[in-house]
Amino acid sequence: MIIIGENIHIISGEISKAVKERDAKVIQDLAAAQAKAGAHYIDINLGPARKNPEETAEWLVKTIEAVTDLPLSIDTLNPVAMEAGVRACTKARPLINSASNRTDSKELMLPLAAKYNTDLVLSVITDKGCPPDVDSRIESIMESSAYANELGIPNEDLWIDPILLPVSADQGQIVQALEFMKIIDDVLPGVKSTIGLSNISNGTPEELRAILNRTYMVMLGRYGQHSVIADAFDKELMDINSGRMPQVVDLIYKVMDGEDMDTASLDPQLRDYYKTTKVLMNETLYSHGWLED
Amino acid sequence: MDFKAPVESFAGSVREVSIGSGAKTVKIGGENRLAYSPFDEGSTPNPPRLALEVWDMAPEDWPESTTAPFADVLSDPVKWAQKCVDYGADMVCLRLVSTDPSTKNAPAEAAAQTAKQVAQAIKVPLIVCGSGDEKKDAEVLPKVAEACSGESLLIGPAVKENFEPIAKACQEHGHSIIAQSPLDINLMKELSIKLSKVFPADRIVIDPLSSALGYGMEYSFTIMERTKQTGVAFKDAMTQMPIIADLAAESWKTKEAKSDEKQGILWEGITAVSLLLAGANLAVLRHPDSLKLVSDTLR
Repeated sequence: MIIIGENIHIISGEISKAVKERDAKVIQDLAAAQAKAGAHYIDINLGPARKNPEETAEWLVKTIEAVTDLPLSIDTLNPVAMEAGVRACTKARPLINSASNRTDSKELMLPLAAKYNTDLVLSVITDKGCPPDVDSRIESIMESSAYANELGIPNEDLWIDPILLPVSADQGQIVQALEFMKIIDDVLPGVKSTIGLSNISNGTPEELRAILNRTYMVMLGRYGQHSVIADAFDKELMDINSGRMPQVVDLIYKVMDGEDMDTASLDPQLRDYYKTTKVLMNETLYSHGWLED
Repeated sequence: MDFKAPVESFAGSVREVSIGSGAKTVKIGGENRLAYSPFDEGSTPNPPRLALEVWDMAPEDWPESTTAPFADVLSDPVKWAQKCVDYGADMVCLRLVSTDPSTKNAPAEAAAQTAKQVAQAIKVPLIVCGSGDEKKDAEVLPKVAEACSGESLLIGPAVKENFEPIAKACQEHGHSIIAQSPLDINLMKELSIKLSKVFPADRIVIDPLSSALGYGMEYSFTIMERTKQTGVAFKDAMTQMPIIADLAAESWKTKEAKSDEKQGILWEGITAVSLLLAGANLAVLRHPDSLKLVSDTLR
């Protein structure tokens, strides 16, 4: 699975300061470290970029391209910053992150992918917000992908994002996103997919977040997930993704299949994965204490 | 073709919690089907119980309609509690409001003595609630537990921030605990997990907070309903506790209840009946007429 490294994010105080002061080193170190950790894309989250959107986006792209050849995922809802960022990419085909089925996005953001021949993250968000169930999410994505096709963007360039909400906010929709991923290839042949993986553990105590992210990545992977936007510095996540922890993947698949197992005899690491999978399958009620349950 | 009504049967059951000692013991919970589903398999060994609340100081902000039935006893918690029993309450809920640092900041020892006197004076089980100030409750409730050793009270609220000292004292002196969480089923379960690591799970009663009709009651309803479904239908051991719906204060805080006695009684009564339908095992009320209304409705 392709890992889009999420660690350059404007919400981080350190990044925000570095961007404001045009401190290239902080940004470059983070980009290089993610590349070294095995990320396949570097996400550049600019936020709304209200001040000097063009100049900021350009500076970030140039700064990062100076230390890595990896493709960039330009992550902003500001179409002006997006266009400047995409235009500045010289090394690899960038990923526009993201457009949606919102009217403004279809008018201003989506056409950029056609204009600059890039890949495009297309989320299920509509003018009314995030559709509540699988059917309405599919309906939304059918509409916006048809719109993209009309503009000349083929399915193969679309990275579909079903929008993942935190497990602590709405446990039931985790399985829904999985269902969505299971059928998306039948509905829109040839499309790719992505998801904001770490969002699943937003609101969960910091030290417990990683196992939720890792477990869900494996669950998605079973249904052919193409990419995730994730923490490239989570070594265990990267190890699982590169096939170095098959025992974890096997166990998660077994739990997904509802196989009975003697949890007492599992080693503690696998038991934690067992409990986490149960929670994400919506079979055990989530609480911050789920690993002690 | 004959119609055959589907009959559900469930694998989980709610723990049975005993409150009160000796002859005045009352049990709540114990059911292995959902609330008010007599058509399903299983049993509901204990009917929902209704408590009336008593304050340890004369309330200043209660609407007159709720002070009138107790006008002669408002400054005497023992007599007030006895009057609640006369009105037909299954239990009494003594609220140690005077210990709140923002009211009289009464010392823990004095409050504990009041609790003891009330517990010994009534022939029904006693629930003792702190003021809700989490720091002060951590001092007051262990003293109550100690002073009332052997009375098998239901003591609370224990919250995430203060459950440890309260649990320790209740464990030592044989009481049950109210585990309170802020209208969130995930946080409710987290507290159950943490609390049951240091305290017997069959002496925990869950308080997910009760909002009044028109003021968010549906949130409380949903959480109580899901708690019971999770426990009974999905056998989640950490939600298989009886539920207390402590709704008196929330109901009488509404402008609808304050402005008109009859409306207030209905407001409190309908909130209670709704939450009992959702799965609450115990409701705390304020007005004797709403106690009668709810009790008649249930019958």
